Amino acid sequence: MANVDLKGVVKRYGNVEVIHGIDLSVRENEFIVLVGPSGCGKSTVLRMVAGLEAISGGEISIGDRVVNQVSPKDRNVAMVFQNYALYPHMTVRENMGFSLKMRRKSREEMDSRVQEAARVLELEPYLERKPSELSGGQRQRVAMGRAMVRKPDVFLFDEPLSNLDAQLRTQMRMELRKMHMRLKTTTIYVTHDQIEAMTLADRIVILKDGHIQQVGSPIEVFEKPNNVFVARFIGNPPMNILEGVFGVEDGKRFVTVGPSRFPVPDGKGDSLVDGAPMLVGLRPDAIKMGENIERLPKDWWCKGEVVVSEILGGHSLLEIVVDGQNELIAEVEGRVVAHPGEIVPIGFEFDRMVLFDPETTNALS
Amino acid sequence: MREASLDRLKAFLTLLPSIVLVGVFVYGFIGNTVWISLTDWGGSGSLAVDPQKNYVGLANYAELFTGFLAGGFRQDLVNAVFYSVMLLAGAIGLGMFIAILLDRKPKGEDVLRTIFLYPMSLSFIVSGTIWRWLLAPQGGVNILPTYVGLDPLTFEWTSSTKAVLEFNWQNLFQIMLYVAAFILILVGLWAFRNDPRKALKRWLGPGIVIGAFAWLGGSILPQALFMEETHGFNLATLGIIMATVWQYAGYTMALYLAGFNGISQDLRDAAMLDGASEVAYYRHVAIPMLKPITISAVIILSHISLKMFDIIFAMTGPDNAQTGHPALNMYLTTFRANDFARGAAIAIVLFLVAAMFIVPYLVSQYRQRKRG
Repeated sequence: MANVDLKGVVKRYGNVEVIHGIDLSVRENEFIVLVGPSGCGKSTVLRMVAGLEAISGGEISIGDRVVNQVSPKDRNVAMVFQNYALYPHMTVRENMGFSLKMRRKSREEMDSRVQEAARVLELEPYLERKPSELSGGQRQRVAMGRAMVRKPDVFLFDEPLSNLDAQLRTQMRMELRKMHMRLKTTTIYVTHDQIEAMTLADRIVILKDGHIQQVGSPIEVFEKPNNVFVARFIGNPPMNILEGVFGVEDGKRFVTVGPSRFPVPDGKGDSLVDGAPMLVGLRPDAIKMGENIERLPKDWWCKGEVVVSEILGGHSLLEIVVDGQNELIAEVEGRVVAHPGEIVPIGFEFDRMVLFDPETTNALS
Repeated sequence: MREASLDRLKAFLTLLPSIVLVGVFVYGFIGNTVWISLTDWGGSGSLAVDPQKNYVGLANYAELFTGFLAGGFRQDLVNAVFYSVMLLAGAIGLGMFIAILLDRKPKGEDVLRTIFLYPMSLSFIVSGTIWRWLLAPQGGVNILPTYVGLDPLTFEWTSSTKAVLEFNWQNLFQIMLYVAAFILILVGLWAFRNDPRKALKRWLGPGIVIGAFAWLGGSILPQALFMEETHGFNLATLGIIMATVWQYAGYTMALYLAGFNGISQDLRDAAMLDGASEVAYYRHVAIPMLKPITISAVIILSHISLKMFDIIFAMTGPDNAQTGHPALNMYLTTFRANDFARGAAIAIVLFLVAAMFIVPYLVSQYRQRKRG
């Protein structure tokens, strides 16, 4: 177990720079998830930590050792690949024991470690099978077992669940979490799925175009996104972003969105001056309907016209147009049956609003 | 139901012409050759309009393996074994080695690949002629050392009369038992790591028993001949083997390179992270994964080596006893000596040897397809 430090890490392919000086400290025992859209460089970062990709600048250290020049096999990291990368000609036992064989461990040690991992992962009945005779979930487990038997300093996961169906993915996600709670091995996990990121991570790192956008706990990046990109990327459905203008009248701070005027709670947008344009971010679940609006102040209410409503079992999604121009997505509790065209009262949890600068798209303090 | 049977009828009718043609011109003629090999068609009058063909049983085969005058054929058969083994080892070993070098993506890989594959496009007659010049006693390869001030080589690549690994054909049975014991023990040692008990029971035990029997009881085995007759690995075949390896190494290289390229980068990365060196990656991951390619290469090369004809013809001529091959012998026996029955017998012997390689392969393929 070890911490991992990236200092000003740069990756260039020829003249094209894809990772632009990343700084990141992964603490010992921490579960870090790198998340971002495809092409953002998250897999490249992971492969650089593994040593499969040379770095063009900066420094990577594992534990207290700089590993820039250390070959992958000497970094004591284990990686789980998206397509599992199991050796097709070897049995499950041989696949899991391969790294120990390469490290010339004794037969007894190999057997006991493989047996132990197989027991934990419930793979014992399949030890003599070839990967082609296993289901997707079992293969995934073998890939994890292969990483576990090594007792590495760092686990690296490269989109390990994306080849599984939705149900299995949820189940494996839980198992991964349990495995980390038991083993406490420092883990760097790459995914494009923000739900995986939210559920697994101690801290999430959001990447875009080779730049880190934000590092923080799942709740932090959800409630206090650094910029519009993070706000829209984390959370599903994404955050509603409305264009507005800030104003002050009689010492009261407000924002004008179209013809409507809403109060701005204290502590948000303190640096704004009267007449400043801004973007207002509101999570879909910060929009309330029905009796839930009762506990919100009256000036946080307004009326909206329902465009579409979808009932998703325990909660419902509604597309609502406010003032005939601002479209919002609301995620409300319960089964709300609303007909298109119906005018309904809605309330906003403005204490959860996030304000952004429309030019830089960065969050305003 | 009616539609299905109509489909079957259509399929049958479409296949019928090829079934008939293959039946007559492949299997019919094999049958005819078998029949001829059981007759005495040959000698004077063999070219008559209606030649005499009397059934003589396996006399032609007995003559080939134990007859006084068929020593030439027996040496050819021994040559064929060495040609096969050396071609397999040489072409697969060299081809795999080049493929591994090219798999590491050196600069100019494309050009190099074409260069190595190019010999395949030459006919055996052309490459045979080129290598005859290269291996001439006082030219080509032999004078290479003189360019750096050394004495020229004097090895006679295609005309040496020396032989190594000689054995007495009289002890044929004993030698075959030794070979069987050797193979069993080899397989047993290989299997020993995985399952010692099974290996001992199935391979090592029988191997040791057979070996011991051949060693102790060799004198009570019947002798294949009434006089001593030594055969061995004729050094004059080395030149021909070199030329054939040169021609086919590129081919196996192409097979292996395609296979290596088909292995996903993730697998290679996984092996690297698992602690495998480059050598270990090829030894434990890449080459075992390409077992189907190796098997194909063995089948293809072994049947090529059993049909070697033109390259020997071009390099040493048909009459060089040192470098003979059963295929050449068959041609000479049939069309020069007009001994059609004996020629047919040689053809059938070659056919059976080739079948020994190909049938197990076809059976395993068939089983795999049934399973998959």
